[in-house]
Amino acid sequence: MEEDDRREKEKVKEKAETQRIWSWGAGTDGQLGTGSLQDHTLPQLLRLPSLPSPISSLACGGAHVIALTSGGKVLTWGRGSSGQLGHGDVVSYVLNPKPVTSLDNYFITHGSAGWSHSAFVSDNGRLFTCGDGSFGQLGHGDYTSHCSPFRVSSFVDHFVSQVACGMRHSLVLLKGSSVNQVYGFGSGKRGQLGISRDKIKSICVPEVIRELEDKEIVEIAASGDHSAAISVDGHLHMWGRGFKGVADSHYPQRLISSLRFAKATLGWNHALALTGEGEGFMVGGNHLGVLTDPQSLNSAKQSTVNMKEANLEKIPGLDGVKIVDVVAGAEHSALVTEKREIKTWGWGEHGQLGLGDTCDQTSPLTLSLGCELNEAESIRVFCGSGFTFALTMPYDPSLH
Amino acid sequence: MSYDDVEIEDMEWNEELQAYTYPCPCGDLFQITKEDLKLGEEIARCPSCSLYITVIYNMEDFLDDQNSKKNLEPPKQQAVTVA
Repeated sequence: MEEDDRREKEKVKEKAETQRIWSWGAGTDGQLGTGSLQDHTLPQLLRLPSLPSPISSLACGGAHVIALTSGGKVLTWGRGSSGQLGHGDVVSYVLNPKPVTSLDNYFITHGSAGWSHSAFVSDNGRLFTCGDGSFGQLGHGDYTSHCSPFRVSSFVDHFVSQVACGMRHSLVLLKGSSVNQVYGFGSGKRGQLGISRDKIKSICVPEVIRELEDKEIVEIAASGDHSAAISVDGHLHMWGRGFKGVADSHYPQRLISSLRFAKATLGWNHALALTGEGEGFMVGGNHLGVLTDPQSLNSAKQSTVNMKEANLEKIPGLDGVKIVDVVAGAEHSALVTEKREIKTWGWGEHGQLGLGDTCDQTSPLTLSLGCELNEAESIRVFCGSGFTFALTMPYDPSLH
Repeated sequence: MSYDDVEIEDMEWNEELQAYTYPCPCGDLFQITKEDLKLGEEIARCPSCSLYITVIYNMEDFLDDQNSKKNLEPPKQQAVTVA
């Protein structure tokens, strides 16, 4: 038995050692994990501290990163000026991945990084938040900031399954015995909380989104002043700040479409949605993800188009190749194809497209990680506001 | 080309920078000082990139400090609680 145990541990450790991770884009607060504050226009292979288990997912925020390991541990780095790194202190930045030791007693399965706050969900359904709380986005019933993760007491009697952090707000998905419920808290000025048709400045105690109560929500997303949720039947619900040519919505509206969506990801002026068939679509933005120009922002103000009537544009230039994952940064986007290629497009001023320059791109272009993936690996991408990460994972045949 | 129009009440006073700030999509902060506002400047710039925003505010609110405290209540920077 002990021998088996030891072998299993070695296997996991080996996976951790063979895992590769790259970053590129804005490095102004050490968010690239390269040990410096430099921007990089090409993917940088990181030298991570030796981990007992491989990284299973990343959450990238305004200028900080949360890494979760397959063993349920948490590491963070990047900007820490609001306590968002959860290390128990306020620091300008942390250049290298550092464990969040106060969560060591929990097995963390899910994390989300907002502009300057962070949230963590444990396998037993507990929610912890830290960082900037000045808009109520930590959900602790006050407007205080915290530099260590604190359990959100509103949900002590509930099982939290997901959390999504936007610029100044948070969404929480509860797994219920009969129905899943979505809660919102933090800034609500643009309607991003979805809790009331009236204007709400901010709330610091989580409130349920009644409009979603009869929908079985399986996934939530938040970024900038936008919010989204996907129901089990593949319907995409959006609320908050309007996109190009679309008015703000203070309550969730189901996008009118015959498509069935499996994933939604939000930027500051665009949303991306992926269907179960591997087709990608975009709402808002200017030229498909490139920085929104003032012309379109002005027209957005005059627009009367309702969020449910938002126009979906198909992500171009894929020639029928299926998309397995898609992620939005603030003003850029990245996707992974079934051929395990990473493509990026949008705003490129900080090198966040990883194409070796600082140009904007209106159509997805393939980037090079500088090495081949082996057959046992698949690749995942994660976008922060102005930066991007790629991570090798054990090959998952269900995705290809 | 202004990235966005932002009301002063949505900006945060940053003691360290001595400026009103708002998140920039590059990860840094758009910044404008009280002195700039007093002069009628309405552009807040990001020190790390080419983007800037247009600040919507009432110049009179900044002409004398006494007034600015009365009329403006930007979200105060909260003390961070050490656990």
